[in-house]
Amino acid sequence: MSNAFRSFRHRLTALAALALPLMLAACDEAHPRDAYAHPAGDASEISAWFYNLYLILDTIIFVGVVIAFFAAIIKFRKKPGDNTLPEQNWGDSRLEIAWTIVPTLVVLGITVPTLGGLFELAKRPDQNQKIIEIDVVGKQWWWELDYKKEGINTGNEMHVEVGTQVMLHLTSADVIHAWWVPRLSGKRDATPGRNYPLNFRPKEVGSFDGQCAELCGASHALMGIRIIVHPKDGPDSYESWVKHMQEGAAKAATPEQEAGQKVFMNKGCVACHTINGVAELAPGSRSRTSGPNLTHVGSRDFIAAHTLKNTPENIARWVKNPQEVKPGALMSNLGLSDQEAKDVAAFLSNLK
Amino acid sequence: MASIADFAAAQKPIYHQERPSKTGLLDWLTTVDHKKIGILYGGAGLFWLLVGGLEALLFRIQLAKPDQHIFVGDTFNGLVTMHATTMVFLAVMPMIAGFSNYFVPLMIGARDVAFPRMNAFSWWTFFAGSLTINASLLFCGAFPAAGWTGYAPLTTKDFGGTPIDFWWAGLTLLAVSSMVAGVNFVVTILNLRAPGMTLMRVPVLTWMMLVIQFLLAFSFPPVAVGLILLAFDRTFGTVFYSTGMGGDPHLWQHLFWLFGHPEVYVLILPSMGIVSEILPVFTRRPLFGHHAVIFSGVFIGFVGFGVWGHHMFTAGMGPIADAAFASTTAIVAIPTGVKIFNWLGTLWNSKMTFPTAMLFAVSFIPMFTLGGLSGMMHASPPLDLQQHDTYFVVAHFHYVLVGGALQGLFAGFYFYMPKISGKLLNETLGKIHFWVFLAGFNITFFPMHLLGNHGMPRRIYTYPADAGWNTENLIATSGVFLMTFATLTFVYNLITSLKNGKDAGSDPWDANTLEWMTSSPPPVHNFDFTPVVLSERPLWDHKYTPGFEIPVPEKAEEIHMPSPSWKPMWVSASAGVIIVGLLTFNGIAGIPGWPLCIVGAIGVVLSVYAWVTEPV
Repeated sequence: MSNAFRSFRHRLTALAALALPLMLAACDEAHPRDAYAHPAGDASEISAWFYNLYLILDTIIFVGVVIAFFAAIIKFRKKPGDNTLPEQNWGDSRLEIAWTIVPTLVVLGITVPTLGGLFELAKRPDQNQKIIEIDVVGKQWWWELDYKKEGINTGNEMHVEVGTQVMLHLTSADVIHAWWVPRLSGKRDATPGRNYPLNFRPKEVGSFDGQCAELCGASHALMGIRIIVHPKDGPDSYESWVKHMQEGAAKAATPEQEAGQKVFMNKGCVACHTINGVAELAPGSRSRTSGPNLTHVGSRDFIAAHTLKNTPENIARWVKNPQEVKPGALMSNLGLSDQEAKDVAAFLSNLK
Repeated sequence: MASIADFAAAQKPIYHQERPSKTGLLDWLTTVDHKKIGILYGGAGLFWLLVGGLEALLFRIQLAKPDQHIFVGDTFNGLVTMHATTMVFLAVMPMIAGFSNYFVPLMIGARDVAFPRMNAFSWWTFFAGSLTINASLLFCGAFPAAGWTGYAPLTTKDFGGTPIDFWWAGLTLLAVSSMVAGVNFVVTILNLRAPGMTLMRVPVLTWMMLVIQFLLAFSFPPVAVGLILLAFDRTFGTVFYSTGMGGDPHLWQHLFWLFGHPEVYVLILPSMGIVSEILPVFTRRPLFGHHAVIFSGVFIGFVGFGVWGHHMFTAGMGPIADAAFASTTAIVAIPTGVKIFNWLGTLWNSKMTFPTAMLFAVSFIPMFTLGGLSGMMHASPPLDLQQHDTYFVVAHFHYVLVGGALQGLFAGFYFYMPKISGKLLNETLGKIHFWVFLAGFNITFFPMHLLGNHGMPRRIYTYPADAGWNTENLIATSGVFLMTFATLTFVYNLITSLKNGKDAGSDPWDANTLEWMTSSPPPVHNFDFTPVVLSERPLWDHKYTPGFEIPVPEKAEEIHMPSPSWKPMWVSASAGVIIVGLLTFNGIAGIPGWPLCIVGAIGVVLSVYAWVTEPV
């Protein structure tokens, strides 16, 4: 066989060696945040539809270019000893016109539906339906979630209902953040001084993770989000969650929890955190919103914005030295003793 | 008719200067020779390429596995910020400036650029800027950490530390340097072409350089304004970017991307030009659709000013603005496609040989195509809302900037170094460099597409083990080691070739354009006589087309070359003092820095006066 063919075969082997680990990578792991393979909301379904459209188109173009490319570099090598010149050709106007017009048509063909999808996503939801409206405030490095109508203020873990329209109003208290839970919707910046809507309708019951997608300082990587989509009825329904959240905080029941409550009230935690019925938010004051509302902190899956699993041990570790868990964390290191940290953890874990 | 070599041997033309050039180190400090300034730019670019690569290696080690604690928080953010800032402003742009300095005058048959001392001023201002940005590591022990895009209000006094001051100060100097260079080269290319070199006979690389010089001259002013507003916010307490008193963080984004998108084309068009020069040489036929390739480049340059909003689809500009920017961005695909098809057309029906320069040039085509195609996805807002600020975007722009821009520049080094040093690079090492680099960057950047699809945002210093990003991250990091090895092979090759390389002769590749007509390295005055250009491929036709020989004059002409000068460096240094004064305006360790502004301003006035009154 010719040299050209041999080296082509080598190159194919090299390509295969390259592709193999990638294919393995794609197969052996679960991808719980894959918006295209498993969209779980109407907004991400639109994105996934466009992804597939562009992927098919791009694959066709790329394969075409690569076939032409390899055909050319295999076929049109200089043969040893052949010193004649190839045809000195400066181009072909018919070809130029063709490969200007065809891409123009392709671009037109994809831009029209793109604009359709864009306006579809920007559409204001029909106001004559049940809408869960939530004010979202990005803060370094957690999310304040305010359900104005329901009177619920919470952080980081958002609860919504399957099949019900959700409308977020995004803003920020400091720098620019971006709200992103891939399987439910695309991202939207939370910009200080501005208020942007983000609409989606969840279609699946379950927990969906995401995180801040705009560089926002030292702990940008640790500004996670979880959205819990509840079923419409049953013991775990959205309505029963709302009812539960509207109740005040659980009373400290054990001596340990009571000691923890004392630490909470006396050591400074209360300067930034609200606990309904224990440390209320003074009317008009925002001072107790610099940290998340902890009224039902015990019922969350994670603490420190999806950074640690919500266990008493992790709470103790977090309150004892916040900066060790999250670099630059704004929660002060209050110099709690091991016992104080344990007590606070017991107190907070009880706030189911 | 005498041959070119006979003329050179017989005439020995002597150029004259007002003051003779200095020697040794002083020569490099005072030179206004475009070739020496080109070497300075190229050398600096290579140095910073290694630094930027090291930064990437460090943060990829942090990301190799989940939950690692090697570089956390702002240390990681600083590495990411400086990797991008270094690669864009201190590595790729100066390498482009190096090629542009060295080869534009040679390709158009000129003796130097239009304003040789302004050229030296550009270089020294770039030099001051590059040191200023990195000086934050020395003075603050930390890098600026707000990302290379520096989104306000993360850069304002409330949220960004002192390293940000070094960042805006350095970038401001770089902006001045680029704007001056832009004007200088536009004038050079439009006015100093050899007789007979009509615009359509200007080589494609020079055309692309012309386009990017316009982009530099017109796109840097917005970001310079943005940086000065930032400086005012940080130093004098204005509130351009703070919302509390009516400022708006979006102002920065618009100013930045109005620069930032044309900047992307500044980075890629020269490599497209280099590929368009190399393909015809090693296919031994003209560039297919030569005019179409030139016009596509010009068109990309124009459209580049109307697409910046596609970086802001998630910012909430509203559907009308999003629709406008989506449409203009999609248009960019058309001229880019035309270029790719024409390169393929050049390969077709040719007789190719594959030295390393050609390997890099041909591999540019599929790799850049891949980056371009993923770019089309981001032009679609419904899709970009998912992809924005994820690793998918990281994969996209590295395919364009590494597979495209950097591979093009590597091709340029293998192709043009023999002209600069007179020595060929080693082909065996070159091929090792090529294959290892090609494998390395695909192993690094291809998995990043998957990471983006699986929901990994960019610029995060750690990730949980259960997010499904472990394997791809490990693969990506392993590829960086291959790229590092390949790049070090290249640097070794470059350095050893200066001593051991085979002599190149004036025209080692049997090339087309004027720069290969003169000796390697070229004499100070570039050409012994001013060449008259009769076609698009003056040197090729001189060799192969009867009747198109470049006419050799009877007598040597009088050649005047500009004299060496300290003044450009003085002006740059004084401007640097002003910037340092602003940077420390309110004092460091109790010593106010504002008097430095006055000293620097006086320095600028005096040295500009000395400059204009100095005989050339």
